[in-house]
Amino acid sequence: MKKWMIAAVLVGVGIVIAFPLFSMSYYTMVRTSTPEFCASCHEIKPAVVAWRSSTHTNNAAGVVVDCMDCHLPAPQDTFAFFFAKSYHGLKDVAVHFFVGEYDQEKAREAAYAAFDNDQCQKCHRNLLHMPNQRGAMLAHRSVVYARPGYEKKCVDCHYDLVHSERGLVMFRQTRQIPYQAKGLKQL
Amino acid sequence: MRRTLIFLSIGLLVVGLMAAPGLAQPNFAKVKEYRIERSVPPEAQACIECHRETTPGIFADWAKSRHANANITCLDCHLIQPGDQDIAQGHEKYYGRSDMPWGEAKYKMPIASIVTPKDCSRCHPDEATQYSKSKHANTIEIIWKLDPWLNKGMNSDNERKVGCLNCHGTEVKIDENGKIDPNTWPNAGVGRLNLDGSKGSCTSCHTRHRFSVGEARKPEACDQCHLGPDHPQIEIYEESKHGTIYHAYQDEYNFDAAGGTWTAGVDYRAPTCAACHMSGSGKEPTSHDVTQRLSWETQAPLTVRPQDFKPFPSGSDWKAERQKMKNICSSCHGDSWINDFYDGFDKAVTEYNEVYFKPAKAKLDELYEKGLLDKTKFFDERLEVEYYELWHHEGRRARMGAMMMAPDYAWWHGFYECKLRFANYMEEANHLIETGQKAYIAKDFPNATGDTTRPEKIFGKTQ
Repeated sequence: MKKWMIAAVLVGVGIVIAFPLFSMSYYTMVRTSTPEFCASCHEIKPAVVAWRSSTHTNNAAGVVVDCMDCHLPAPQDTFAFFFAKSYHGLKDVAVHFFVGEYDQEKAREAAYAAFDNDQCQKCHRNLLHMPNQRGAMLAHRSVVYARPGYEKKCVDCHYDLVHSERGLVMFRQTRQIPYQAKGLKQL
Repeated sequence: MRRTLIFLSIGLLVVGLMAAPGLAQPNFAKVKEYRIERSVPPEAQACIECHRETTPGIFADWAKSRHANANITCLDCHLIQPGDQDIAQGHEKYYGRSDMPWGEAKYKMPIASIVTPKDCSRCHPDEATQYSKSKHANTIEIIWKLDPWLNKGMNSDNERKVGCLNCHGTEVKIDENGKIDPNTWPNAGVGRLNLDGSKGSCTSCHTRHRFSVGEARKPEACDQCHLGPDHPQIEIYEESKHGTIYHAYQDEYNFDAAGGTWTAGVDYRAPTCAACHMSGSGKEPTSHDVTQRLSWETQAPLTVRPQDFKPFPSGSDWKAERQKMKNICSSCHGDSWINDFYDGFDKAVTEYNEVYFKPAKAKLDELYEKGLLDKTKFFDERLEVEYYELWHHEGRRARMGAMMMAPDYAWWHGFYECKLRFANYMEEANHLIETGQKAYIAKDFPNATGDTTRPEKIFGKTQ
C-alpha cells in the first residue's frame, strides 16, 4: 500500500471516531445549558422558578434570557465558556455529594462578585441614550466611562432583579410601578 | 341739589373705574405654569398636578431646579417598591377620592417621604460613594464614641432631637402604626441613619427641592451647623480675608458654573467653605468627602492626625491630604505664603496640645484617681465642665481660628479664653488636691434623662 493511502485511511478512521465524539460533546453542552437542566439540581430549582416569573423571561419583545446568558462567559469565547461550564458543573456535583449545605444568600453574593459588566452588556448595550430616563443616562455614564477608582458593576445598583420571591409572574410590559435601579448596594 | 348729584355720580364713576381692574383681576398669587411638553409618566404628572395645588412652594422650588430642567420628577426620587417599610401610608388614602382629579386609583404609586443618599446614588453614584466615606455621613458613630452628653445621658431625648441631632442626624424609625416616628423626624442631618441602611442626607447642603450645586458652594450652606461657641467656622470664615472678600464681591461670583468648571479667580475671587474643602481646583478633583484635605483633627480633644482619630480613622495619609489642600491654596497663593501659613497653624496645634490640653487632661485623670472627682456622670461637677469647655469651646476656637486665619478667634475667643480657663481650672484642681476635699456634685443636674443605648445600626445589639 502506498503511503498516502495509509494516511487517508487513518484520517478516515479518525473522522469516524472523532465526529461522534465531537457531536456528542456538543450535544451534551447544548443539553446541559438549558434552564431545565439547571433546575434538575434541587439547590438551583428555586432560582429557576424565580427566574421564570421575572421580566428577564416575560417581556413584550419576547426575549428570554437563559441562566448561562448571565452566569457563563459567551459561548463564542469557546475556551472560557467550556472551562467555566465544566468547572462549575464538576464543583456543583462535588459540593452536592460531599458538602451538602447550600447557602442561597452566599451563592447570590458570590454570583454578584463574579459578574462582569461585559456579561450584562452582551445584551444591554445602548445605555447612554435614554431621553425619558435622564437619571439613568447620568448614572450609566459613570459606569461606562468610570473615572479611576470609581469603577462600578451593573449589579451594584441593579440587584435582586431576577431571583427574588414574588407572588405573581411579572411581565415587563404590564409593570404597574416603573422600574428603578435600587441605588448602590454598598451604601 | 343737582350739583350734589353730579358730584356724587362723578365720584362714584371715579371710584368704580379705580376698582374695576381689581374686580377683573383678583389678587391671587400667580401659580407657576407647568405644561407637560416632554415625556413624563402619567403618574408623575399626577404628582405634579396635585402638588402644585397642595404644596405650591415645593412645586415652585422644584420647577426652578436642574432636576425639572432634566425632566427628573417627584417619582424619580420618591418612588419606592411595594413592601418597603417606609411607604407613606397617609399618602395612599388620597387615591380613590372622587373630589380629587388626580386622585384616581390608576395613578397610585407607593411613595416614601424620606429620600436618602441611596436614592440619590441611582443617578449620582460617585458623589454618594464619596459622601458615604466622609465624617459628615459617619458623624453619629463619631459622636457616640466621644460624647459624654449621649453616653452618660446628660441631656433629654428632645433636647437632642431639637439640638444635637438636628445637624448630626437622627436614627429614623418606624413606629407601631407604620408611620415615621415623630421623635426621629423631620430631620435633614448630615449623618442621619436611614431605614435603607444608608447614612446622611444630601439635602443638608443641597436643600429640597432645588438641589442646587450653587447653594452648596455658598458658605450659607454650611453655616446652619458650623457656628456657635463650639465650632464657629462660619464666624471664623467671615472674619478671615476669604470671608470679607466673599461679602464684598459675592454679587460677582458665578455660583452656578457646571460641575468641574468652577474656577478660582474666574468664577470666584476668594474661596468659600466648599471651594477649599470639596470643590475641584487646579489638579485637585472635586470630592464629596469632607474628611480629605485635612491634616489635623482640630475638633478632637487632643489634636491628632486624621488617620489617628480613633472614633473614625480617615484611612489616609495626612501628608498626602495636606498636599491636596496646598494644591488648592496654590490656585491663588505662592509657596512661601502657603508654607508659612501652615507653620503658624502647626505651632498653634502643638501649643494647644502641649501647653493646654495635655496638662489639663493629666490633672483631670489625677483628680479621678484620687477620688476627688466622681466618674459616674459627667458635667455634674464644675471641673468637668471647665475641662470640657477648654477643649470643646475655646480650644477649638483657637485651633480653627488659627487654621482659617481669623485673628480674633485664634486669640481673643481662643487662646486668651484658654489661658483664663486653664488658670482657673488648675487653681480649683490644685485646691482640691491640697485639701483632699471632694468636688461638689450637682445632685439636681437637670433633665439628664436621655437614652444611653448606642444606635444598633452602627454598633450592633448591646445587652
